Amino acid sequence: MKKLRHLLEYCASLFGLFLLDRISPSTAEHLAIKMADLWYCFNSLRRQIACDNIRRSGITPSDSEVNRIARESFRHLAVLVVESLKSGNVFDENNWREKVEIDIHPETMEILKEPGRGVILVSGHFGNWEVAAQLLSYIKPVTGITRDMDNPYTDKLMKERKPRNRFQLTPKHDAGVDRLLSVLKNGEILALMIDQHAMGRGMAINFFGMPASTHTSPALLHLVTRAPLCFGYCIRKGPMSYKFKAIAPIIHKPTGNRENDVRVILEMLTIELENAIRQNPEQYLWAHRRWKIKPPSANQV
Amino acid sequence: MTQLQIIEKLRTMMRKSSQAQVDWDTVTADSSIASLGFDSLSILDLVYDIQQEFGFEFEAEELVGVKTVGQLADFLEKKQK
Repeated sequence: MKKLRHLLEYCASLFGLFLLDRISPSTAEHLAIKMADLWYCFNSLRRQIACDNIRRSGITPSDSEVNRIARESFRHLAVLVVESLKSGNVFDENNWREKVEIDIHPETMEILKEPGRGVILVSGHFGNWEVAAQLLSYIKPVTGITRDMDNPYTDKLMKERKPRNRFQLTPKHDAGVDRLLSVLKNGEILALMIDQHAMGRGMAINFFGMPASTHTSPALLHLVTRAPLCFGYCIRKGPMSYKFKAIAPIIHKPTGNRENDVRVILEMLTIELENAIRQNPEQYLWAHRRWKIKPPSANQV
Repeated sequence: MTQLQIIEKLRTMMRKSSQAQVDWDTVTADSSIASLGFDSLSILDLVYDIQQEFGFEFEAEELVGVKTVGQLADFLEKKQK
């Protein structure tokens, strides 16, 4: 039964990609928005999670504004998928600088351009993270970590379709410390997400004022490798139009108090993500359960 | 510091950082670091502690391939010279 469902999903994905390849970006965007509206209408669970999360974040006290942001967030995700799949036909090594507004801090740009220097780039499920990785890979090879999709057929199809330049994805189950250190040693960009629920393994860091279990690896990798730590994201401005922003690199020297060092870095990164979300709340993935469980201990690393 | 002294120091540090139930008295140079409860995340905690405790800097990447307590002690012994 499960296999049949997977095959049906695979066929639907194949048909979707076939259609996507034959329509213009603006038609694709229009269709994606219609699909997202249907999804928003019928998936009451995700809609509720998104609305609850927006309320908890305190971004707006207005219920109508909560609903608007939630609906726009669903639309943004649908457009993100479509534009990520189409971006390989739009951006290339020669034209991306003309098509994308770049707002990268000069020190960060210098580090990114330095050959052989590994960089830890932290972002969140905000803007278009897929396009962000693709664009960055035109400066320096990028390795990201991904969770395999439940459907192995669709997973394979999507991985084959995602635009590749010098952007690699490492499956989560294969992203051991050796692999992460090798990426940095090879002078590449290691792209990590700061806003994934880390369960009991994370550190409780306030996200919009409420503790959220946060992965400690971006901070620990910075502390033990001294690789520069940067925070960046790619905002969508319109159809296939983006602005890439990255702040100045974060440099934190180890003090001998590991937990405190990790906390300070994670708090800095989380505040940067919060600030970015406040400016464009519609481009955040609110339907994701960020505050899933209360971590067992506020001090646990 | 001799390799034996380094192993003893490592044992104390590992005992502090590991969340696994380990009989630390049976830990020897041949013990695999993974078997002592250090996975891809907690090994970074250990690397941080080692860098701070031994007071010298080394690139964490140099530890790629180090699998046992003895190999780690060997690496640290060479580094301190």
